[in-house]
Amino acid sequence: MKKVITGNHAVSYGAQLARSQVIAAYPITPQTQIVELLSEFCASGKLNAKFIKVESEHSAMSACIAAAATGARTFTATSSQGLALMHEMLHWAAGARLPVVLANVNRAMGPGWSVWTDQNDSLSQRDLGWLQFYCESNQEVMDTVIQAFKIGEKVLLPVMVILDAFVLSHTSEPVDIPDQELVDRFLPLPPVNLPYKLDVEDPHAFGALTSPDHYYEIRFKIQKAQDEAVQVAKEVDEEFKNILGRGYGIVEPYRCDDAKLILVTSGTITGTARIVVDSERVKGRKVGLLKIRMFRPTPIKELREILPRAQKVVVIDRNISFGHSGVFCQEIKSALYGLPVQPTIFGFIIGIGGRDVTAQDIEEIVDYASKTEKPDSIILWRGVRL
Amino acid sequence: MKWLDFETIPKVILEREPDYPPWAVSLTNTLVNRTGSWRIFRPKYFDKTPPCNDACPAHEKIQGYMELVKQKKFLEGYELIIEDNPFPSITGRVCFHPCEASCNRGEYDESLGIHNVERFLGDYGLKRAKAKKSAAHISKQIAIIGSGPAGLTCAYYLAKSGYKVIVYEHFSLPGGMLRVGIPAYRLPKDILNKEIRKLEVLGVKFKTNFTLGKDIFLDDLKQTNDAVFIATGAHKSRNLGVPEEKTRGVYSGLEFLAQINSGKRPRIGKEILVIGGGNTAVDAARSALRLGILPKILYRRTRHEMPAVAEEVQEAENEGIPIHFLVAPVKVIKSKGRITRLECQKMKLGKPDESGRRRPVPIKGSNFRIKCDSVICAIGEQIDLSVLTDDIATTGWSISADDWGRTNLPNIFAGGDCVTGPKMVVDAIAAGKRTALAIDSYFTSREIKEEPNPEITLFSNLNIGYFELAQKVTMPGLNVKERKRNFREVHLGYNELMVYKEADRCFSCGVCNKCDNCFVFCPDLAVMKSDDKYDFDYDYCKGCGVCAYECPRNAISMEEEEAR
Repeated sequence: MKKVITGNHAVSYGAQLARSQVIAAYPITPQTQIVELLSEFCASGKLNAKFIKVESEHSAMSACIAAAATGARTFTATSSQGLALMHEMLHWAAGARLPVVLANVNRAMGPGWSVWTDQNDSLSQRDLGWLQFYCESNQEVMDTVIQAFKIGEKVLLPVMVILDAFVLSHTSEPVDIPDQELVDRFLPLPPVNLPYKLDVEDPHAFGALTSPDHYYEIRFKIQKAQDEAVQVAKEVDEEFKNILGRGYGIVEPYRCDDAKLILVTSGTITGTARIVVDSERVKGRKVGLLKIRMFRPTPIKELREILPRAQKVVVIDRNISFGHSGVFCQEIKSALYGLPVQPTIFGFIIGIGGRDVTAQDIEEIVDYASKTEKPDSIILWRGVRL
Repeated sequence: MKWLDFETIPKVILEREPDYPPWAVSLTNTLVNRTGSWRIFRPKYFDKTPPCNDACPAHEKIQGYMELVKQKKFLEGYELIIEDNPFPSITGRVCFHPCEASCNRGEYDESLGIHNVERFLGDYGLKRAKAKKSAAHISKQIAIIGSGPAGLTCAYYLAKSGYKVIVYEHFSLPGGMLRVGIPAYRLPKDILNKEIRKLEVLGVKFKTNFTLGKDIFLDDLKQTNDAVFIATGAHKSRNLGVPEEKTRGVYSGLEFLAQINSGKRPRIGKEILVIGGGNTAVDAARSALRLGILPKILYRRTRHEMPAVAEEVQEAENEGIPIHFLVAPVKVIKSKGRITRLECQKMKLGKPDESGRRRPVPIKGSNFRIKCDSVICAIGEQIDLSVLTDDIATTGWSISADDWGRTNLPNIFAGGDCVTGPKMVVDAIAAGKRTALAIDSYFTSREIKEEPNPEITLFSNLNIGYFELAQKVTMPGLNVKERKRNFREVHLGYNELMVYKEADRCFSCGVCNKCDNCFVFCPDLAVMKSDDKYDFDYDYCKGCGVCAYECPRNAISMEEEEAR
């Protein structure tokens, strides 16, 4: 059934269709509507889940961890400062190998206080062991939430599904909400099958002191699970496509085959860049686009296959790793390291703190990169007012 | 040149997988680890005394009946009250409820309306409870002199235990001060009659129009009965102590009330002054108002020192009765043998006297006269010791008896106002109950049960985060207009919905009411729950104290473990 809904409500429907069993969340703009709708689902009986009210995001994630440790399918949502407050427990969820699904609405970190979008909140959490997916549309948001449970539960790692504040969270689009029966065919019914469960009948100690004799190996296993997650994510996306008719890939190359310049984007800038690619093609410029949907684990193989086809790669980052450069740009440079033929990489930063990113902005970026042999500097700041 | 090919070079080169669980988890079941041995403090379920139960002179189990009302077990609630106070429909109306003053809820939002709930249960029990029939099976006979609250209560508990009881009363109907002292708008006569009927069914014999020292004598009663309980109260009005007070038009407050309460209309004027600041003064003034007269109250100190209950003073003022403070009478002015004016003097407050209240000191030259045709003198009541025999020890103004009513003579007991001087109805009820126990103990040598556990739960002992603010349920009543020229009861009582709502506000201080908090919070799953209680599994309880902290009502105590 098609419905015109916001990105936030797309998340809620996704979590409901996935038959979440425990939801613990704390309200924060621009995420609040996600859990508001979920709480209504719980209250009305539309979703048979325990909704735990908590006093902070730290507690929300703590409650999710405990619930997930019993094998319950567990969901939460947050944004920005809330995600930062969860930080300690985000480590915990990954370290305990619990497949919690978290929707994060990308919102700039304060101060200055902001509710508008950029990616610094979620990218600050990239090294914890969580899988990360960046979404382009409301439909993709809903579908990714459903996929996230399946991927996370296969590799035993938590998954973060990320959407842009307001551009998706508060913007309504037509979304196809699948029948429960279809989703049930795709996603096994909970509880989650964990190798060790928190169980009062068979009590074990969890997360206790771990000496150097053992800790290292446990960490090794997290990385191994991340490696496996690349293949698992591809397969799950395929299965989703077979049952529900939609697939996204872990990256999506758009008109890249003969491209001389490839734009690399994530989140909603992708949609704008698509239009620019088409208009540049009309002008005769061979421009392509690579959308990065899965950022953790990094799809290194796909990046190394696709990007060297072009002479120039233009990475558009809506974030900044202070002291270095845009995070996506750094990671792409690192992914291409060691290839015999290296494209020239332009690293643009744009739209920080939710400043609008227009087609004209991207056209001008393409124009600059087309006409410039080598970038003037490691960071190319787009639209800084002087 | 393929210098570094990510396709062919795996990220990790290891001979085999490490043989580890996916995360830090103990491979053995933790039940082998009896963590109870780590404990240095031991939690214990230990009920304390709620402050209301403690403040009630009769030690009613207030928290207990609130819990029963919460479960809508009204009859059980009534039965629980009458274990300690046989007349909840009376105290529910006239008690000055020290329980409410001590209620911990008072420090939170507003004290629980305990006496409103008590009254509901009392009335409910009068209507629905099965009357207990006469069960006299012990061949001991006890004479009780006085049928006020002390005498009635003692009679009730003795008769219930199987003793033969005869109650002697000076007036023509039993009830004592309940009948002659308390106006019907506070305690309707039919309620009192029903309570007395309860005693008659139980086998108590009443002999009215018997006055001690005139129709009956202590020496005779001592001979013809196995024990005697003196509960004659304090009926003698204190004199004003001013010149010409024996003039026509000057009445004693108690006499005035006694006449009205026995259905007579006293011959009294139109301009009435009531002297005094106690409950008799307020009752007399409000009764006069109901005869269609607007009296004035004169009191020699200020509102703050008034011994009358603040709620009653407030009601008097609501009804329009003026109260003049810092005024004392000095002389009655008469003409043709009848009072025409009262000469008064203005006062100021000096140093505190032996009662702790500031002593009124006359202001020189401040004398003035108030026109009046009647004065009702209600400055206190005294005990009439003249009716006693000489062998009973007294304090000079009252009978000497201990808390259990035991006098210097073995089979003579005394209690209530005749021992303590004027106090609350419930004090007399408590004295009657204690004396009944003492009389029983006198015959059987049964040990008298101790008073409640002295450990009281205070507001600071509660975990107040668990309680929501809730307004007290207002008791419906007559408006001021409806009270004019009649003695209809002013307060109308709660209905079932109201009483449930009000009882639901009770914190259950110090007493476990099975809220499950300890069970939910125990991090070691060491709270074991069965149908009627909880227990700790001391094999695993680490003594962290979370249960005791999270208990909203201080029903769990932490005790230091003894060294082993």
